[in-house]
Amino acid sequence: MSTISASLLATDLGSPHGATADDHWVHHLWNVTYIIGTPLAAIVLGLIIWCLVRYRARPGDTRRPPQFQYHIPLEVTYTLVPLALVAIVFAFMYVPENKITDLPKSPALTVTAEGFQWGYRFVYPNGHQETGSYSSVTNIDDETDLPTLYLPEGKTVEIKIVSDDVVHGFYIPGFLYQRDMIPGVNNVMKINVTRTGRFIGECDNLCGVYHAYMRFAVDVMPQAQYTAWYASQQPGSIHNWTPNATPSNEQAAGK
Amino acid sequence: MKREWHTTVGAGIFLGLACALYWFLSYEDSGTVMLLFGAAAYLMLGGFIYLQWRRRARLPRPEDKEDGTYEETAGEPIAFFPTASIWPAGIGLAATFIAIALIWGTWYWVPALALLFGSIIGFAVEAEAPDDVPADLEQAAHRQDSTIEPKQIAH
Amino acid sequence: MTIIEDRPGSGPSTDATGTEVHQERLMAMVPGPRPRSWVKFITSTDHKQIGLNYMVTAFIGFLVAGLMAEAMRTQLIVPNNHFVTLEVYNQLVTMHGTIMLFVVLGPFAFGLANYIVPLQIGAPDMAFPRFNNLSYWLYLSGFLIMLGGFLTNNGAADFGWFGYAPLTDMVHSPGPGADMWILGIALTGFSGIFTAINLITTVFCLRAPGMVMFRMPIFTWNMLVTLFLVLLAFPVLTSAFALLWSDRHLTTHFFEANGGGQPLLWQNMFWFFGHPEVYIIALPYFGVVTEVIATMSKKPVFGYKGMIGATLGIGALSMGVWAHHMYTTGAVMLPFFAAMSLLIAVPTGIKFFNWIGTMFKGVITLNTAMLFSVGFLGIFLFGGITGVVLAQPPLDFQLHMTYFVVAHFHYVVMALIFGVFSAIYYWFPKFTGRMLDERLGKLSFALLFIGVNLTFFPQHDLGLRGMSRRIATYDGNLGYNFENLLSSLGAYITGLGVIPTIINVWKSLRTGAIAGDNPWDGQTLEWATSSPPPDHNFESLPPIRSERPLWDATHPDELTRAGH
Repeated sequence: MSTISASLLATDLGSPHGATADDHWVHHLWNVTYIIGTPLAAIVLGLIIWCLVRYRARPGDTRRPPQFQYHIPLEVTYTLVPLALVAIVFAFMYVPENKITDLPKSPALTVTAEGFQWGYRFVYPNGHQETGSYSSVTNIDDETDLPTLYLPEGKTVEIKIVSDDVVHGFYIPGFLYQRDMIPGVNNVMKINVTRTGRFIGECDNLCGVYHAYMRFAVDVMPQAQYTAWYASQQPGSIHNWTPNATPSNEQAAGK
Repeated sequence: MKREWHTTVGAGIFLGLACALYWFLSYEDSGTVMLLFGAAAYLMLGGFIYLQWRRRARLPRPEDKEDGTYEETAGEPIAFFPTASIWPAGIGLAATFIAIALIWGTWYWVPALALLFGSIIGFAVEAEAPDDVPADLEQAAHRQDSTIEPKQIAH
Repeated sequence: MTIIEDRPGSGPSTDATGTEVHQERLMAMVPGPRPRSWVKFITSTDHKQIGLNYMVTAFIGFLVAGLMAEAMRTQLIVPNNHFVTLEVYNQLVTMHGTIMLFVVLGPFAFGLANYIVPLQIGAPDMAFPRFNNLSYWLYLSGFLIMLGGFLTNNGAADFGWFGYAPLTDMVHSPGPGADMWILGIALTGFSGIFTAINLITTVFCLRAPGMVMFRMPIFTWNMLVTLFLVLLAFPVLTSAFALLWSDRHLTTHFFEANGGGQPLLWQNMFWFFGHPEVYIIALPYFGVVTEVIATMSKKPVFGYKGMIGATLGIGALSMGVWAHHMYTTGAVMLPFFAAMSLLIAVPTGIKFFNWIGTMFKGVITLNTAMLFSVGFLGIFLFGGITGVVLAQPPLDFQLHMTYFVVAHFHYVVMALIFGVFSAIYYWFPKFTGRMLDERLGKLSFALLFIGVNLTFFPQHDLGLRGMSRRIATYDGNLGYNFENLLSSLGAYITGLGVIPTIINVWKSLRTGAIAGDNPWDGQTLEWATSSPPPDHNFESLPPIRSERPLWDATHPDELTRAGH
């Protein structure tokens, strides 16, 4: 369990580092936003508080303040400065946005991720399936029975994202990335994980009663280990992480 | 009324431009259609106000003049303002029944429609001026609450 | 039945302080009997009565939806909690959002506008008084119908307040609760459309002579722009609901992927309504805050025309940002919507600087109404900045649908709730003729300010840690526990903070100090009449020669100068 906590996204004071090849773009954009946003917020908040303290009415104060109303140069300034700032943010954002959403021409691996109420199914090129879903014995504190997506480290993987029934989410906090799983829409995303380990993913679109329990895990392993794992899977075989037989087995054991 | 039609027609033109920009950037249908209809709605509203302004020979009303005075409006009925009416509540109740009928169907439609038409008739008939209104005001009452006549400009 | 005949001649008179001001008798009328006691609640067509009906109903909605929020926070106070069942939690999530947006924030503003806008422009009533009454009844009926979902077998709607298709179809949401949600919102939508038509006509056709468009108070301007947005947005919502209802009952497939429909169409239609809706609920409270800050600083609104321009800019841009809720669908034009969403920060920024300019060199009375307005500024500023974060698609890919979004959104809407409280404390003397108690008011402010920040600030970090929104319970191993505990404690403090205001209103209705016509040295016309205003609002009106006609009448030695 502690390894999972350790591999969880550290928020790094709100300027997060992920575990993918693209996450430096996100980190970079956070920094841009901080550099522009923090002084701006401080100035505005400071001005408000300063005005309140400096110009508050004392008891019995009957002064009438100067009734000025317009100052064109000032107004033009505080229109143009925010305009320039958002233009800067947009300029910084444009390239990362394209880099992140770009799709690879020749991915090392193509996996299909399918969402359904309330679980995930990952289909590999040879037809092998890793699947798992909510069952009546699912314990939300238990991360060991989550359907797991196995990925090789440091390879660009293409993930086709589809949904069987309603809108689900495909969100891995540690990768700083997500896509919606929408029925009738074939979304494709790429991911290149640069660190081995286990990551928790979750559905983040409200999808029905057991939405909170709809989670999955991503297990990233070195290429050699991945190749060995992949070779050992029968084409077309199905590995179910939460076999429905579990409750009845327990009942049987109870008897 | 100049500002009024400038604002509404301006909004329509803005939406029209946004619609064109959006279409050529994205070729996405639903957003384009919605923006187009928004533009059409505003141009319709703005066009109506523009025609009213033309009908008034482009003269400003007292409320459009920086130096408008109350004397200019003297002698003009403003509008018909009923003090109380039970019929809106009737229509509201009818709407509740219609909503229930849309969910559970069948016989709920009977009270719903009866109440709706009864209340609408009551609403319409009520606008007649009663007998105790002075004769010179009766005409104003007949215009009902929805019309506000263009006021005469001081000669 | 009342027919306002005309506005006969003028004559000098004296105001309350004894200075002789040039005021003019407004109108003679044929008075009809107004209904009394509880009957007036049902039949009155007086805009003031209807406005109060709206506001009281909206506040009741606020308490109902607030209790739902407390229940949700109680469920989330510890991981793996079983305070409510998963089904009930989803219903609470949905109805909390729906009621807060469709029953509380929008309609409270409509009620306030009903009361204040005709007064601010010197009109005797709304343009269509009976239509106005009808709007209220449709609104109340919509509220009761959507709330009635809790009484049905399967409970209320449980798919989130934006009800993404196809979760809303008959297969996944079979009960009548979903239908009641659809029709309840549709009815409040119709109510909003009627109010919009009514108020726009009032503003365009019933202004007092001399009240040109660029002399209307900022609150009236903001309401005008808001209602233009209502006219654009609500019909789209209503048609989306018509399609959804037909999917559910007439076996059409507008939003069903397996029948050739398109679930994304729902998202496009909903957010085409949904984003302007955010500004529909925000702009009125920008107006409230502007009025309060100007009055309490004893100064004109700094950059009055720039302020109106900013409002118009927000209104226009808000029509082009809807798909920033859909970045992660992979089916929208990212740069277009990112650019529009970032741009809309500019007019909002202009407003902030105008508010500061209004306070600058003023004599600021820091009473409860002003405190709530300043609280609005602080909280909205933070919500606005996290909005700029979320407007950038790469960051939204990280944060979309996490608690960061919840925190951002609640910082925005809780700022608007501060606007609601500010409006209550500012205009209560006008509504009732009595002042609210300042000590209880300040206690209420302190609790709310602490509570709101304690509730929602930790949620930013929860979002960064990856806690997705709307989950009924969460894993105890992922580091969410402490911040959820803080957040729940904050929610309780927020809930406590509402109570002093309720007591205050209850008490002050009977024992509050007598307010008089103009307790704040107001600048706009609603303070030029008695408190509460008489039938058809004005016995007399000062001449309107600037955007501060009452200031000009009460301070004839320093008239408001003409603008640039």
